[in-house]
Amino acid sequence: MRRRSWAEPFKIKVVEHLRMTTRAERARAIMDAGYNTFLLRSEDVYIDLLTDSGTSAMSDRQWAGMMMGDEAYAGSANFYHLESAVREFYGYRHLIPTHQGRGAEHILSKCCIRPGDTVPGNMYFTTTRAHQELAGGQFVDVIIDEAHDPASEHPFKGNVDLDKLSRLIARVGAARIPYLALHATVNMAGGQPISLANAREVSALCRRHGIRIFMDATRAVENCYFIQALEPGQAGRTLAEILRELCSYTDGCTMSGKKDCLVNIGGFLAVNDDGLAEAARNMVVLYEGLHTYGGLAGRDMEAMAIGIRESVSDDHMRARIGQVQYLGELIGGAGVPIVRPVGGHGVFLDALRFLPQLPREQFPAQALAAALYVDSGVRAMERGAVSAGRDPETGENRYPRLELVRLTIPRRVYTQAHMDVTAESVIALHEQRERIMGLRFSYEPKSLRFFQARFEPVEGGAVLRH
Amino acid sequence: MKTIIEPFRIKSVEPIRMTTRERREAILREAGFNLFRVHADDVIIDLLTDSGTGAMSSEQWAGIMRGDESYAGSPSFYRFQARLQEVTGFEHILPTHQGRASERILFELVGGPGKVIPNNAHFDTTRANIEHSGARAVDLPVAEALDPARLHPFKGNLDVAGLERLIAEVGRERIPLVMVTVTNNSGGGQPVSLGNLRAVRAVCDRHRLPLFLDACRFAENAWFIKLREPGQSGRAVRDIVREMFDLADGATISAQKDGLVNIGGLLLLRDPALLYRASNLLILTEGFVTYGGLAGRDLEAMAQGFEEVLHEDYLGYRLRSVEYVGEGLVAAGIPIVQPPGGHAVYIDAAALCPHIPRAQFPGQAVVCGLYRIGGVRAVEIGSVMFGERPPPALELVRLAMPRRVYTQSHMDYVVEVCAALASERNSLRGLRMVHEPPVLRHFTARFEEL
Repeated sequence: MRRRSWAEPFKIKVVEHLRMTTRAERARAIMDAGYNTFLLRSEDVYIDLLTDSGTSAMSDRQWAGMMMGDEAYAGSANFYHLESAVREFYGYRHLIPTHQGRGAEHILSKCCIRPGDTVPGNMYFTTTRAHQELAGGQFVDVIIDEAHDPASEHPFKGNVDLDKLSRLIARVGAARIPYLALHATVNMAGGQPISLANAREVSALCRRHGIRIFMDATRAVENCYFIQALEPGQAGRTLAEILRELCSYTDGCTMSGKKDCLVNIGGFLAVNDDGLAEAARNMVVLYEGLHTYGGLAGRDMEAMAIGIRESVSDDHMRARIGQVQYLGELIGGAGVPIVRPVGGHGVFLDALRFLPQLPREQFPAQALAAALYVDSGVRAMERGAVSAGRDPETGENRYPRLELVRLTIPRRVYTQAHMDVTAESVIALHEQRERIMGLRFSYEPKSLRFFQARFEPVEGGAVLRH
Repeated sequence: MKTIIEPFRIKSVEPIRMTTRERREAILREAGFNLFRVHADDVIIDLLTDSGTGAMSSEQWAGIMRGDESYAGSPSFYRFQARLQEVTGFEHILPTHQGRASERILFELVGGPGKVIPNNAHFDTTRANIEHSGARAVDLPVAEALDPARLHPFKGNLDVAGLERLIAEVGRERIPLVMVTVTNNSGGGQPVSLGNLRAVRAVCDRHRLPLFLDACRFAENAWFIKLREPGQSGRAVRDIVREMFDLADGATISAQKDGLVNIGGLLLLRDPALLYRASNLLILTEGFVTYGGLAGRDLEAMAQGFEEVLHEDYLGYRLRSVEYVGEGLVAAGIPIVQPPGGHAVYIDAAALCPHIPRAQFPGQAVVCGLYRIGGVRAVEIGSVMFGERPPPALELVRLAMPRRVYTQSHMDYVVEVCAALASERNSLRGLRMVHEPPVLRHFTARFEEL
């Protein structure tokens, strides 16, 4: 079949200027940043693919909503708009807004997890696991094995392995499992979706054992796009219908609104259980803000309410994921090793196959992200051993099977030409991959080290040799 | 000149929806006689809080459009950091999504069982965060603060002799830091003098204790110092602000007050070891150190707000308009905390309603009366907010003034509503709490009228 393009279902209303830099300036900037792309000043970045979190462009309607912010401390009209949008599209009864997703994770973990509990999930996420561990819980990965194989073409690599889950329940007992954390899509596996059928089966199993399911719904609409595109029998349904069904298999969700919901700040916890909602409201007052604003300005709740409506539009999501797939086709088509199939929010370079000459102790993904910045000013993020941190018991580095560099695409921000520049830089770098040098820590923070760690090339000199 | 001219004109307006007394009666019942539970749409004049309810300037809105939403290293952060460094003299500036997050991080690090944290008067979220950590929050107001009718220029001052006694009693090692709230919110928005801050600093130095400010209303406090403290009238407010911060080792700030923004907070620290631990906790619970759980645009709005709040014609207008309401209430025979504070006028509910015993929450009765009569939303600061064991020193109702939002005619209306309430005070009825949440109960509690 001939290729069909995915033109954006919008035109541009406001622009933000970018600054071009020279290679010499970039080599200097990455050295000053300790070879950690998190520590670069964004002014020195040309195309910022560090994250799709909070970096999206809002629509004119969302900006109009920003002007409709009702900043009353209690009972803001914007809260009720947001509550009704969440009820309509996600279907949960109680909404507790939070300043962002980790605020919701913090509250959910504190409300539900007791020391010694086990929290199963389809692969860990950095801040989620940190909150579970802080509350005294232990995270156990029950994702299917294919998720850890970057070359597997399984269409739903985010699925939960029901056997692993059953064995875990038998081993620790349902009473020590406060809930199952279901990610849709799975970020650390490369933005991989779960199928509706899998969600249904997981739900049946958990309900049989009286275990609740809380979804990380941050990119659930993107997940629904894959269900619509790939799951038998789902092609004729709207994203909104699929989303309601997916949520119906769970007892609530945490949400970082900074992804699917198309806002720069905001999140929420949504649950069905009255008692849990009451406990969460008492806690949100302490940590976030009164339960009708949760630490958000009224205008930000309004922007999120409008963003939720825009996010379930089939046209929007086709263009969104179409752009990610386009970048994946360019890079993968040129023979660069990437995680297959291409996920919903980014293209993940497989650093182990990209840089086979570098041992894992030299953090190949970190080195590749630094080299990519030097080559073209594209900022990406390491998602490998540096992000995985150390084992809290042994103190040893954790080396996850996936050592990835994430090229995350902000929503509605970059054009096809920006994607072309990115692909050209990645491909050029792959051709001269032997010039990329390994890194070692020069400063290592204790928790969530990837944010603020500093590195240096193990052999001195530059990370990307001429 | 009697008329207060605002040093600005209006650029954007928000309609107010009128309600009838009958409708408000029904709303009040539905909300369990707790105004925190009333929809903002159903309020005519909202004096619930001055926190996050201010109007931003056109310059701040321009900053909102300019916000750079990069996850890390946003230029909006660097502009914000430079402005706050300039205003406060602190090198280390951590942004947080709001003030209570700054408090939570600070007390999670320095609090804990057995610890004691003195303050001139802790505010509700501060106290809750301290107690949540297992530590004890101790209020040390000066004696004048406890007499609402007494005129004293600095009723926010901390009782220095009381602080010495507390240190002697519990031992310095159990006190991780001494806090001073400027202005003193729970005590009536009353200012703290520079002289008092210096005296507290001297005690802290003697016992090698760090001094922290709860500096939400630092600019309003500085303006009172300029107006009232001998020898300070010739100084620029900026200099006074700088001296206040120079006396401290750290500060928590909710920028939703004197930062003139709708959302945002700060944690200022000098100690690098504490900064390191605070940064790690910030990343876990708030956001990365260059955005702290805020959008880039909010950092821009703060950078501009912390500049505008130091304009002396703004501060002159701000404090004079609060005083104007206070004069109106006094003229109507309503007992208030004297003199009026910086951000609010506090009605002495126990004096206004001597027929309602404290166990029946006279403050809450007044709050319900104001809403019923005129759709004015105020907040109880008394036994409902702070609990009855032990009861707080005063039963107050706070009329908090949002910044740059309401005009003089709105304030005239508020005074008329209060006057009407005073004339029917004997019909006000006490309340019984029928639903009591375990923490910060005033936000979600429900009541019945007796």
